Order: sequence, then structure tokens, then C-alpha cells
Amino acid sequence: MEGVLPASWCIVWWLLALPFLALGIRQLRKVLDTDRETLPLLSVTGGFVFILSSLKIPSVPGSSSHPTGTGLSVVSFGPWITTVVGGIVLLFQALFLAHGGLSTLGANIVSMGVAGPLIGWVIYRAFRDTRLNPYTTVFLACVYADLFTYFVTSVQLALAYPVGGFWTAFLVFMAIFGITQIPIAILEGVVLSLVFKYILQLKPDILIRLKVFSEEKILATRSDSDALQIPA
Amino acid sequence: MDVLPMYEELLEDIAQKNGLREVNPHLKLAGALGAIFLCLLSQSYIAPLAIALLLSGGILLLARVDLRTVGELYVAPFSFALMSVSVIILLAGGGQPFWSWSPFPWLAFSITRGSINEGIFVLCRVAGGMSALIFLALTTPMTDLFIVMRRCRVPEEVLDLAMMIYRTIFMIMDQLVQAYQAQRMRLGYTSFRESVRSFSMLCGSVFIASWIAGEDLIRAMDARCYSGKFAMLGEIQPVEAKPLLAVIGFLLVSAVIVVLTGRITAI
Repeated sequence: MEGVLPASWCIVWWLLALPFLALGIRQLRKVLDTDRETLPLLSVTGGFVFILSSLKIPSVPGSSSHPTGTGLSVVSFGPWITTVVGGIVLLFQALFLAHGGLSTLGANIVSMGVAGPLIGWVIYRAFRDTRLNPYTTVFLACVYADLFTYFVTSVQLALAYPVGGFWTAFLVFMAIFGITQIPIAILEGVVLSLVFKYILQLKPDILIRLKVFSEEKILATRSDSDALQIPA
Repeated sequence: MDVLPMYEELLEDIAQKNGLREVNPHLKLAGALGAIFLCLLSQSYIAPLAIALLLSGGILLLARVDLRTVGELYVAPFSFALMSVSVIILLAGGGQPFWSWSPFPWLAFSITRGSINEGIFVLCRVAGGMSALIFLALTTPMTDLFIVMRRCRVPEEVLDLAMMIYRTIFMIMDQLVQAYQAQRMRLGYTSFRESVRSFSMLCGSVFIASWIAGEDLIRAMDARCYSGKFAMLGEIQPVEAKPLLAVIGFLLVSAVIVVLTGRITAI
């Protein structure tokens, strides 16, 4: 939210966000150079992050909780490209819907574009090559990416307003976000893992090409599921 | 989960036909960014409040956006700001408490002169900053900002991706609204379980449909010699004297208020 953070913290978070953005841009360049066909997928993922993160789910009044939608992008493209996608989406939200802000964009990129995706990525990598089914992996990555985003937002608010000490402020902000964010994160995980299921059923080739999961695993999961009967 | 109807009207539509549409986007951007900067610089609640009033006046009178739309835009940020501000007011110290309560040994709520001042200050800063952002969102279409971004040498890949995402958002939204209406008509959102299921199905099918549409778009552009750089044909409006003077005047007045009000507090 524009104006929530004092100038000094805006600068700190912007400075922290910039190296990650630079890294993301470099990777984006590499991906687009080698495989142009990822551009549509990247933009649809970005579009979905935009739409999911601008959904205002009716919840406790006064809270600006919303899904982040970054999980799917992290699983497909990794955390750094997700930082760029997240940055673009956050900029659009500011200029398009007047959500978020420009001075606070750095802080938002750090929480929604760097920290959340990074945790999602770690979880996805930890479970990718285990026997856990891909939907559960995607579910966990999305839920934790979302929750950790709000964890970092609480840290940012508590650092800017260490009223009653950093820890008290942090716990209070966490508690307020927790009420709405935990159910939202779980719902988001369910929705995104179902979206992932559709992709896996209909266009598994791109998941194999992006090496999201190993080919055997994708094919095995595909033949296992009987919820969707779509001719290949 | 009646969450989708808001998408049928976007700020972008308003921005395309507002009263300040023909003003140079650099000027509008300078005005908004300058306002945000001054709000953050100010040590008193008066300057951000004045900036909020001036910009809201600009949105209503110059851009001629109707009061209801603008009012609705302020609701969400204010409810969020009020929540943060109430935490600040209850937890921050400073001076004799008017009221205090300590439910746990490690947690004490109190309302003091200092905490109220801090709360009002933050609330006004949010009001100032948000009005600048709302001003920009309502007066400057994204397409104009893309041109500005290219002039500011934003990396090509980022700009390309940004434009593709921009295009995709509209594609997704069109399909979302259509499929959502169809689902509602077939009672797809009657219970919570049903809602989650329908919503996932909606997202999944729209995701794939827009992805295919995106691939078609790239293919169509490739066929027309697209090389990873969008040609932008939009023209930028020239800087005119009147708006230029208005922006300079606005920023000067705001800066003077910031300096004059110093550290004046509310109570």
C-alpha cells in the first residue's frame, strides 16, 4: 500500500529487490533466446498471477489478503524468472487497479516475488524426485509460497513500525494476516494444483520440456488419473 | 464466492476516455511520482492530506471521473490502512496513556497522544500516496506507459513480457467472465465445495485456452516478422504549456506545504 512504509524502508527494500530482478532478467533472456515458445506460457502464468492476486476474497473486513498465485510460475520457471513476472504483475496492479504502490513496489517484490517463490521452489525441489505425487508437490509449493509471502510482509511491517518492540508488532501483524491468509493459501493450493492437473492432462509436452517433473513421472501420473477422460 | 463481476469494468477503460487522456504521459507520471515522493518526505500529516485533496480534486474535476468510482477505489486501501494504523495506535507508546489494557504480561495495548499522532500521520500518508496512484491509474492508459518505459530503456525482454501479460490479462478476463456466467447459470457456485471445484475448473480451462490463444498470437506475429520486439505505433502527446504549468504549480505548492508544516502533529 502506497505510503505505508516510510521512505527509508522503501529504499532498503528496493535495493534488496534489484539484484534479484537483475538475475531474473538475465535468466529470462536466456530462456527466451533458447525457446521462444515459452513466451505464451510465461504470459499466461503472469496473467493468472495478476488475476489471482487481485481477487479480493470476502473475508475479515479490513484485511487485504489475497492469493499470490506465484506457485505455478515457480514450478514451471524457477524462482528468479518468477521475480520478474511478480514484479511486472505488481507494477500492473499499482497502475491498473491502484492496488499496492510504486514506493512500496520494492518491498512487495521482495515478499511476493522473491521470498515466497524461493520457499515454494525449495519445497518443490525437495519433493520433485520423491515418490510424492506431483499434485501434492504443487499444492505444497503453492501453499508455502503464499504463506511465506505474508510472513515476510509481516516482517516488513514490523520493521517499519516496531511498536511495542519488533516481536510484538510482528506477532500481531502475523496474527491478523493469519486469520485470512491460512485458508486462502490452502484454497490457492487446491485451485493451482487442479490447474496443474489440467495442464498435465492436456499439454504434458511443455512440462516435460521445461523439466518440471521427469517424463516418467508425468506419464505415470497421467495414466493413473481417471478424473479427466481426454484423448491424448 | 462471487468474486468475478469486478473485472467487467477495469480502470483501464476509464483511463482510455478520461478528461486528461490527451495530456503528455511524462507529465502525469512526473506529477504522480513527485506527489508520492513529497508524501514520503513530509514529517507532518498536513502535506499528504493536502496532496490527497488536490489530486482527488484533479481526478474529479479535470479527469472528470465520477465520484462513485473514485470513492470505491479508496475503500480497499483505506480498510487495509485502518487495520495497520489501529495496530500502531494500540501498540505504539509516547506520552501519557489515555487508555490501556494488558491481557497478557508480554502484550500491552494503550492509546497515547504519541500513538494517535503516529496513526493519523500514517493514515494521511497512505491517503496522499494512494491518491497519486489512483490519479495515475485513472488518467494514464497502460499503452502510454509502455511507450514511456521503452524511452526509459526498460530491458526489451521485460517490456515484451509485460506487454504479453497485459494482452493476456484481457484475454483471460474475457474467457473467465464468459465461463463464469455459464457456470453460475448451471448452479456451479451453490455450495462451498461446489464453488472450489467450479473455480478450479474455470481457472484450469481458461489457463489452457488463453495459453493456446497466446501461442496463436506468437505464431501470427512470427509470420509478420516479429523478432522479440514489439513495434509500438502509439504516438506520445506533446508537452503543452498549460498542463506543464499545472504540474509544476502543483508540485511547488505541495513542496512549500511540506516545508512549512514541518513536524506539526494532529493533537
